[in-house]
Amino acid sequence: MKELALLLNEMCAAGVITNYALFGAVAQMRYTEPVATVDADILVAVPSSERLDLLAPIYDFCSAKGYRPEGEAIRVGAWPAQFVPVFDRLTTEAVECAETADFEGAPLRVVRADHLAVIALSVGRAKDRLRVLALLESGSVSRAEVADLAQRHGLAEAWKGFEARFLDD
Amino acid sequence: MTSFEKHLKKDAAWQKERSALSWAEKVRLAEALRESIAQIRRNRPGANRDARTAPKR
Repeated sequence: MKELALLLNEMCAAGVITNYALFGAVAQMRYTEPVATVDADILVAVPSSERLDLLAPIYDFCSAKGYRPEGEAIRVGAWPAQFVPVFDRLTTEAVECAETADFEGAPLRVVRADHLAVIALSVGRAKDRLRVLALLESGSVSRAEVADLAQRHGLAEAWKGFEARFLDD
Repeated sequence: MTSFEKHLKKDAAWQKERSALSWAEKVRLAEALRESIAQIRRNRPGANRDARTAPKR
């Protein structure tokens, strides 16, 4: 993971991406207990959002450094890294507001717990619901914070439904 | 409380304790868990060794 952190920061410095933040299960683990996951998901902001192959510069940069594609991901050390360009206001904000953590001496930007929870709410699979519950249970985010962020991103109804189904007696 | 319920409660408490580990330690645990799962799948009778693992978020 440290190798991935160094690579992401290099990509930023080289202008291949303008910003990034780890999200998904690996990010969740910063706030909760360890979880099983196959890959590391990274939200990326790219310099030009008008080209069709948004990830091509990332793949080219990684390839030049000896990192090869592995399915839909790029293998970086022990981790398949899946790059996801920001695709709406929520993910754009998640990257902009991400915190810079220290991962074994390397800076690594990671999505905040509230954005992680609302992104999971917006996706809505069973594992995403588990993520929301785990984040709430860890105390890293409150119901009020999720409600506020969900409201700002048009997910108020989804949050009310989630509360009614999983949180309210 | 039945012995099974006690076991579940103990397991849940252990899981929650894992939250106190550093992020790096948790990631290492996840790596070990991933490799264990992959090994089990490889050794499973009739496993399709060419099957791609679907990306998960």
